Amino acid sequence: MVNSNLFPSIEATGGESSTESRRKKPRISETEAEIEARRINEESLKRWKTNRVQQIYASKLVEALRRVRQRSTNEPDKVVSVAAREIRETADRVLAASAKGTTRWSRAILASRVRAKLKKHKKAAKKSAGNCKSRKAAATETNRIKLPAVDRKLKFLGRLVPGCRKVSVPNLLDEATDYIAALEMQVRAMEALAELLTAAAPRTTLTGP
Amino acid sequence: MDLTGGFGARSGGGGGGGGPYREPIGLESLHLGDEFRQLVTTTTTTLLPPDNAAGSFTALLELPPTQAVELLHFTDSSSSSQAAAGIGGGDIIITPSPPPPPLHSFGGGTTLTFPSNSALMERAARFSVIATEQQNNNGNNNNNETPTSSVPSNSSDRVKTEPPETDSAMENQSLCPNQTNRSGKRKDFDKKVKSSTKKNKSSEETEKLPYVHVRARRGQATDSHSLAERARREKINARMKLLQELVPGCDKIQGTALVLDEIINHVQSLQRQVEMLSMRLAAVNPRIDFNLDTILASENGSLMDGSFSGTAMQLAWPHQAIETEQSFHHRQLQPPPPPPPQQWPFDGLNQPVWGREEDQTHGNDHSNLMAVSENVMVGSANLHPNQVKMEL
Repeated sequence: MVNSNLFPSIEATGGESSTESRRKKPRISETEAEIEARRINEESLKRWKTNRVQQIYASKLVEALRRVRQRSTNEPDKVVSVAAREIRETADRVLAASAKGTTRWSRAILASRVRAKLKKHKKAAKKSAGNCKSRKAAATETNRIKLPAVDRKLKFLGRLVPGCRKVSVPNLLDEATDYIAALEMQVRAMEALAELLTAAAPRTTLTGP
Repeated sequence: MDLTGGFGARSGGGGGGGGPYREPIGLESLHLGDEFRQLVTTTTTTLLPPDNAAGSFTALLELPPTQAVELLHFTDSSSSSQAAAGIGGGDIIITPSPPPPPLHSFGGGTTLTFPSNSALMERAARFSVIATEQQNNNGNNNNNETPTSSVPSNSSDRVKTEPPETDSAMENQSLCPNQTNRSGKRKDFDKKVKSSTKKNKSSEETEKLPYVHVRARRGQATDSHSLAERARREKINARMKLLQELVPGCDKIQGTALVLDEIINHVQSLQRQVEMLSMRLAAVNPRIDFNLDTILASENGSLMDGSFSGTAMQLAWPHQAIETEQSFHHRQLQPPPPPPPQQWPFDGLNQPVWGREEDQTHGNDHSNLMAVSENVMVGSANLHPNQVKMEL
């Protein structure tokens, strides 16, 4: 009737997307949310993108690896997989250290080692954590069959990024941005280091499985 | 105008005429009923706002709310006189007498500052933008958001252009008695693109204030919940856009879920790559034992800054590093420098290993290493200050 024609604004309560698509792109600068997010992103990219950062990381990594090596040379030669795990953990720690504590995932990585050490001393292999996890998973299953797809994926992303399981969505996305940038830098640096080392030892007989 | 005929017909029809006009006032107006009928009868006979150029439906909209609001003001004689002056534009006479008592109850039943706020806005609709300064002087105690949102959401576009200016100006001036409403956000109303100057001004104001400001765009609901929702959505969408730019191949994808899929895949692939590389490093490790920093130091003379801080870790190392750097500079990437002297203070375990392999590896590898690692490794002198902090 008259109402529907006269009061389109009421009808458009849920139609934000349609409104946006109808509205032409504003000539004026972005919304505040975008400005803020862009600032965060630029910071994180600048932090992890430069060559110098990569070099610093690589050299720090070398040092840390050497120190780990020195520590473990007393023990007999380890399997490659065990050594690989050690190296990965070392690399993650160095990466987190170079983040200088500004991000949540870096703090979580650095803290996890301390926690792991404490756990090792206290309980042998009780795996109470495992029980808790299964119980919790069962609870959520019974509560709701399936969360909406986006929420499920966000939760999964939270599990991937260390220390970000119970973090709000915008913070999670920020952390993920920084984490991805840092990981890319780590991959580049380790790649170069591996190339370097394999090139430096062409005649070495690889003792592997 | 044809609508006046409609008015007359409806008012003549009686109860039915009040129906459509209940909505504009918002939720609270449900019990208007009789008052509205009276309003309509009084207004249609006396009023014909001459400056209704915006369209016939605006006449419909502006009239009844305006009049209802004006009539509500009769407790406050000053505002009523202002309203009369404002609405008039000259010709309009308001007959105050009949409706006040029922409308008092109506006014009491609604939210606190609803009448004055709407009055301001209706008045603002009549006048040009410049006139908003007047209103700022008038209605200073009404920073309640709900009435502002309920009325304009039902009003025409013209009405809507005014509140932003009003609100932003008002929030600068007055202390808000209702702090709870401003818990996290202030809501402003967006303007059309053509009024860009006003938008710039309010954007400046919003930047100074310590809240996150959200704008309701044209044609969108403006109650506090949906505004909060919209702010949250905008934040999330902004961050998703940045993630899309970061992750390769996400630009083409539409939809949050698929983009999240891509992001998750990317993170997993990066983590797997780190695993692979660490396995490679572990495989390489047993022989080389990570004593290649000496090689690296020699190569990267060009990259080293002179800032060696001699920590206790390796005493003679800075020395040797400097020497090799200088020699390196001299020779400028020419035949490999002489093998580093054996007195480098590595621990005893590593030294024999190094000694064994040194001659074999150094000769061939320097050129390779230099070429490969030129851009990668930094002078290890940078490590020294950080070594102590790094190990946990």
